[in-house]
Amino acid sequence: MSRLGLGLSLYVGVLTIFLLAPVAVVIASAFTGAEFVTFPPHGVSLKWFAKVLGDPQFVVPLWNSLRLGVLATLLSAVLAIPAAIAMVRYRLPGADLIQAFLLSPLSLPTIILAVGLLFFVARIGIGSSLLALVVGHAVITVPYVLRTVLGVYAGINREIEEAAMVLGANPLRAFWLVTLPLIRPGILAGAIFSFLLSFDEVPVALLLSNTDTTTLPVSILSYLVYNYDPAVAAISTIQIAIVIAVLLVLERVFGVKHLLFTSR
Amino acid sequence: MAAPTSVAISSAPAEATCRPLLWLCPLILFLVIFFAGPLLLNLMESLRLDKGAPTFAEYTHIFGDPYYLRVIAQTLIFGIVVTAICIVLGYPLAIAVARLDGTGKALLIFAVVVPLLINVVVRSFGWMVILSRAGAFNWLMRALGLPTVDVMYTWTGVTIALVHVLLPFMVLAIASTLETLDPRLEEAARVLGASRARVFRHVTLPLSFEGLITGSILCFTLTIGSFVTVMLLGKTSTMIMPLLIYQQLTVSSNWPFAAAMGMTLLVIVTAVLWLQLQLRRPRWRR
Repeated sequence: MSRLGLGLSLYVGVLTIFLLAPVAVVIASAFTGAEFVTFPPHGVSLKWFAKVLGDPQFVVPLWNSLRLGVLATLLSAVLAIPAAIAMVRYRLPGADLIQAFLLSPLSLPTIILAVGLLFFVARIGIGSSLLALVVGHAVITVPYVLRTVLGVYAGINREIEEAAMVLGANPLRAFWLVTLPLIRPGILAGAIFSFLLSFDEVPVALLLSNTDTTTLPVSILSYLVYNYDPAVAAISTIQIAIVIAVLLVLERVFGVKHLLFTSR
Repeated sequence: MAAPTSVAISSAPAEATCRPLLWLCPLILFLVIFFAGPLLLNLMESLRLDKGAPTFAEYTHIFGDPYYLRVIAQTLIFGIVVTAICIVLGYPLAIAVARLDGTGKALLIFAVVVPLLINVVVRSFGWMVILSRAGAFNWLMRALGLPTVDVMYTWTGVTIALVHVLLPFMVLAIASTLETLDPRLEEAARVLGASRARVFRHVTLPLSFEGLITGSILCFTLTIGSFVTVMLLGKTSTMIMPLLIYQQLTVSSNWPFAAAMGMTLLVIVTAVLWLQLQLRRPRWRR
């Protein structure tokens, strides 16, 4: 902290408290022994965790969210990886315009996409099915996978691929043995981002899910509208734990510092 | 981030046109159908095309009603205020991120990024626990013998919670450009006799202009498109456009109106993004 000077160090301390306070109070409230959310919490107990983990009202949406995140990420990866490779490998006419279009879902408020998708699924008759949710989330997550893979692939030394082909590997073998291992960090980081985005997304899930497919954030939101008790804190704490675990994996494979350069 | 796309190896001409299209097509088709398609449907719904000739009735309804005009104005002002607060709070934090290295840097980035990844519903709930009448903040105020405050269901409360949601975006955007800034430039200015304030005004600030713009546009567009935080911490007087769209859709089942409001929001966001493209070429960097 010596590089910052006293004033800036103090400021960083205060802002860090501001950034972490809402998360800290949620975790603290989850371990309360009381019947209400009070501050400071009274007593220490795990009863609220036991309550939510035995309550299908929370457990079913938790599984739905995990499943939805994985499916949307798989779909995004299948669509984005070949597209990213093509964009780096070949000089296409209008490449900038194509890339701008492919990344444009990033800039759009998801509420507008959610409303449009609601009209769309109503018209083509797939209703609020799991398929509609997977497609809706993939629209949101695919630009992130595209961008991370583009960034990593554009940065690697392409001569290695050529060398493999000169030495007799067919394009498929060169891709599998050379290209894929080289871009794996980009794919993993993009996939983890994609999963986290889907796991956190509210507007599309709120408008397109039904009681069977509802996601964790949507169920917490609906519960909060009518209730205000430590059960919400407990299920939120479980969600925070999942996200932090995923973030630690991300740090392992990619380095959190790189988030600086992948966030728009 | 604009990834360089000009790297290309020599390939046979036929391959060069066929294969990239084959690899790009699934994604392009997917987004045309499931991204452009829904937006087009939204436009059609707002013009009530399924009931015959297009009508602008929904739009004249929005722009002729003082209440809806107020909601639009509130949304824009809210976006500007949240963005301004994020700039003021975020800039020094971004300087700290750029200056630190090693463990200190990793920890600070972690502290900035963790809230970004925690669900906005959970964070709003956290702010309810802090800001409610019997919440953590008032408990602290009472412990210190200070008067308590009541900011739940006010603009103040909503603004605090949304600044918390968007501050990480601003910090990361500014820090990204500050990282690339050569520290010797600031040192040179200092050595040549410029005061700290002058160095900031004439060296640091202009060189971080792009990050500042990127962060501000991102903050603004995300604020005017947000609704979970406002839904949980606000009330009817803190109505903003996304919440109105949701309400019209679910409570009133007025789809054409919700669609027209959505198109209005889309036009505002597009205009702001266009403005960003114009500002991308700052005069002083030439």
